[in-house]
Amino acid sequence: MTIPLAIFYYIYLIFVLGFLVFTVFNVYHLVRFGYLTFTNITIIVFYIVVSILILSISWRYTSAIDWQQSFELIPTFPF
Amino acid sequence: MFINLSKNLEGEKVIMLLRRHWFIILKKIIFWAIVAVLPLIFYSVAGNVFEELFSYRLSYPILVLFASTYYLYVWLFLFYSFIDYYLDVWIVTNERIINIEQRGLFSREVSEQKLYRIQDVTSELKGFFSTVLDYGTVHIQTAGEEPRFIFKEVPHPQTVAKKIIKIVEENKKFHKIMESEDKISAK
Repeated sequence: MTIPLAIFYYIYLIFVLGFLVFTVFNVYHLVRFGYLTFTNITIIVFYIVVSILILSISWRYTSAIDWQQSFELIPTFPF
Repeated sequence: MFINLSKNLEGEKVIMLLRRHWFIILKKIIFWAIVAVLPLIFYSVAGNVFEELFSYRLSYPILVLFASTYYLYVWLFLFYSFIDYYLDVWIVTNERIINIEQRGLFSREVSEQKLYRIQDVTSELKGFFSTVLDYGTVHIQTAGEEPRFIFKEVPHPQTVAKKIIKIVEENKKFHKIMESEDKISAK
């Protein structure tokens, strides 16, 4: 039975979506309930910059992979 | 500093704005830093075994996706820990005490108590780090059936307690004067 490698990529994209949703909630909380200080704004910007950095490094590696290939779920052994 | 009090009372001034001690957030940062380093240690120890179990064609994409997801969520949880620390605030004004607690992403509790209703203020230092770094809990007992206010893991709890007692006494004196003036004017 062969499974396309892209399945892992789609699962990964669901996790990334979850990350983005919770990021929006987190930033919203800081903006809505935090005080309008330089520290608050700096922390939000720092968080977003590091998040973009992780995502862009991930993109660099994932874009180099051929997701069209498939693999054997149960390897067949020659008898 | 801009302080967004729910409803400013007339002539109200912010005297203290307290958050947990910096050591509390440092502990969380250290925890998440260790969590971030763990896969690197695991890979350096058992990386060869993993590569032998799966073919490179399969192991490399899975490793890339796992590493990306792992670090995204470590970063997210670290940020969430910071928000939990940053949004828990205790504000003491010359009229009241406001307790703001963030409980998870979708629960936020704001409670307040007038200073003249405060009956007892106690401070508590518990544990090694608490004693060395001088942070602890301040319990504020109010009149009536309402539960007491608790300032958790705030820096210099004894100084904070003394300061609150002083402010409460001044506030009570002020309210007595105001009441007696009202009685005189009523006569």
